[in-house]
Amino acid sequence: MKMMRAWIPSLSLASLKQPLQAAFLLPPAYYGTAVLLILASMFRPMLMSEAYFWVILRQAAPLGLVVLGQALVVRVRSIDLSVGGIVIGVNYIATSAYLSGFPDSVIIIACLALGILAGVVNGTLITRFRGSAVIVTMAMTIIFIGVVVAFSRYTPPGDVPELVRTIGSGRLHGIPIAALIWACAAIPLGLIMRQTVFGRYLDAAGANPTAAALSGIPYLKTMLITHIISGFCAALGGLLLAGFVGTGSTDTGIGQDLILNSIAAVILGGVTFGGGRGRVLGPVAGAFMLTFLLNFLTSFGFEASGKLMMQGGIIAMAAMVDALKNK
Amino acid sequence: MKMNFLKLNSRSGLNPNTLAIPILLFVFLTFGAKNFASFENLTNLSGQIAALVIVSLGQMVVAISAGLDLSVGSVISLTTCIIATGGPLVLTLPLSMLLGAAVGFVNGWGVAVLGIHPIVMTLSTMTFVQGATYVWQTFPGGKVPAGLSAVAVGNFLGVPFPLIWIVICVALVAILLNKTRFGPHLFAVGNNTASARLNGVATYRVAVSAYVICSLLAVVAGVYLTARIASGDPNIGVSFGLDSITAIALGGTQLSGGIGGPASTVLGALSLGLISNGMNLIGVSPFLQSAAKGLLLIIAICAQRRKTVGL
Repeated sequence: MKMMRAWIPSLSLASLKQPLQAAFLLPPAYYGTAVLLILASMFRPMLMSEAYFWVILRQAAPLGLVVLGQALVVRVRSIDLSVGGIVIGVNYIATSAYLSGFPDSVIIIACLALGILAGVVNGTLITRFRGSAVIVTMAMTIIFIGVVVAFSRYTPPGDVPELVRTIGSGRLHGIPIAALIWACAAIPLGLIMRQTVFGRYLDAAGANPTAAALSGIPYLKTMLITHIISGFCAALGGLLLAGFVGTGSTDTGIGQDLILNSIAAVILGGVTFGGGRGRVLGPVAGAFMLTFLLNFLTSFGFEASGKLMMQGGIIAMAAMVDALKNK
Repeated sequence: MKMNFLKLNSRSGLNPNTLAIPILLFVFLTFGAKNFASFENLTNLSGQIAALVIVSLGQMVVAISAGLDLSVGSVISLTTCIIATGGPLVLTLPLSMLLGAAVGFVNGWGVAVLGIHPIVMTLSTMTFVQGATYVWQTFPGGKVPAGLSAVAVGNFLGVPFPLIWIVICVALVAILLNKTRFGPHLFAVGNNTASARLNGVATYRVAVSAYVICSLLAVVAGVYLTARIASGDPNIGVSFGLDSITAIALGGTQLSGGIGGPASTVLGALSLGLISNGMNLIGVSPFLQSAAKGLLLIIAICAQRRKTVGL
């Protein structure tokens, strides 16, 4: 509250006040990444090579795609916890025998259609029936996991189609295709948010839904569209993940991790429920930072317990920084 | 308004649906599934839902304050692991209570004082506590003090022990909501925090207390579960966060705050328990059971009328 206002001037000279305040308002992912890179160059220089940079970028791409959708949804005061279920569903469709006779492109289209369909169902339940987004989308994940496990009975499905494997783990002139797809989704999305009417609607619906509705802005439709985009992004991220792993898996843990990490990256990216400063670059930096952090911790021999505690702590820290900013 | 015939105030969350669902399920299962109405199965049912009822009571307290607690599952897991270290209960019980209260305090402080969204705040503590639980124990196992199992399995003067746990917890929460000053203050905070504060309610204290009570009830549920399965399990709590939300939603508690009560929560948990129990008796695959529960959750939530859209 008042604490922060009093704190900044007392710490700095008058001339330093403006830039410090501006830096304080940046998404936490920016300085988080900077700190991480400095720490890595001091303690783990091998993480700083160019080859490793591409590896991390490829690893971050599935999460990064999911985060793009999640950030949009969070901006209009909703949340999408179904991304985990969609990723698991896509993984199963891409690798099970049901579609193995079809060309690879048909399988990819089926996967993306699944994501869009889930987004439409989520959006409709949330905007038409006014169901709580937390519960509707979390229930969607449970349904996906239940159906996939019931069909597969924990026996791993087959291999990933060749085309999916290529986009998940292939390289073009040394640059991972997954990272290129991530960029191809992020850049247009950033332009749409900055330049189009839809972008204005997003800001208005997030800032004050009641005012947006009274001004005749179709904010329910805007929310529905963000959920559809989020479903699509999750399906695309799921395809990249399946292509990277190479074979189908029934490990439902990947989906759960993605839910948690996507929210963490959104918060790190400076996006808050209803707005925030990080548009697209913030969440992208958040996804990169989180992936780099997990690699960094692994290189120090952290196990699942330590990583989970670290993740929980970082989400809480980012949320606290954010809350203090808004006060 | 439509609730006048029950002589309960409209903020209790009880409505014809919450009463009808368990009654219809009960009738349906009595005729539809063999062995349902047997004494063994009903005792079994009370054993199955006791933990859920206790956690849901806590979740309800938080929901009335217009919050949500996803971290209850991790607190349950942590508690079972602490108790299953086999140390004397004089030490392990207060320790788990203390840790539970600390988790609740952090949740409440973040939500009420800092203004962090409950989902984000409790998601972070859920992750952190789950990690801490893995430090303690990675696989199910451990040793439970001999006396503890005796109070979770079996009967006392013909009454199943789980039922006694349920009755004690429900009574405590009912007294808290109806007979103390905290009760009305909690409803006031949930309905409109700003106006509650203007009317002299210590809103921070009430909201933080709600989260602490919720975590403490999760600890109680954890102790009960440890006694019932006679070992510790770092993953036993995972499903409880969501199940407790489903239970209170089925019972008619409004997640937007200000509406809910112990009776509706028991009915909601009972409905959920009857559905699981019934699907087991009829022979539905356990994996499809979770999908069916998800579907049910969506229906229960969409049947609630609310004004806000989104979270």
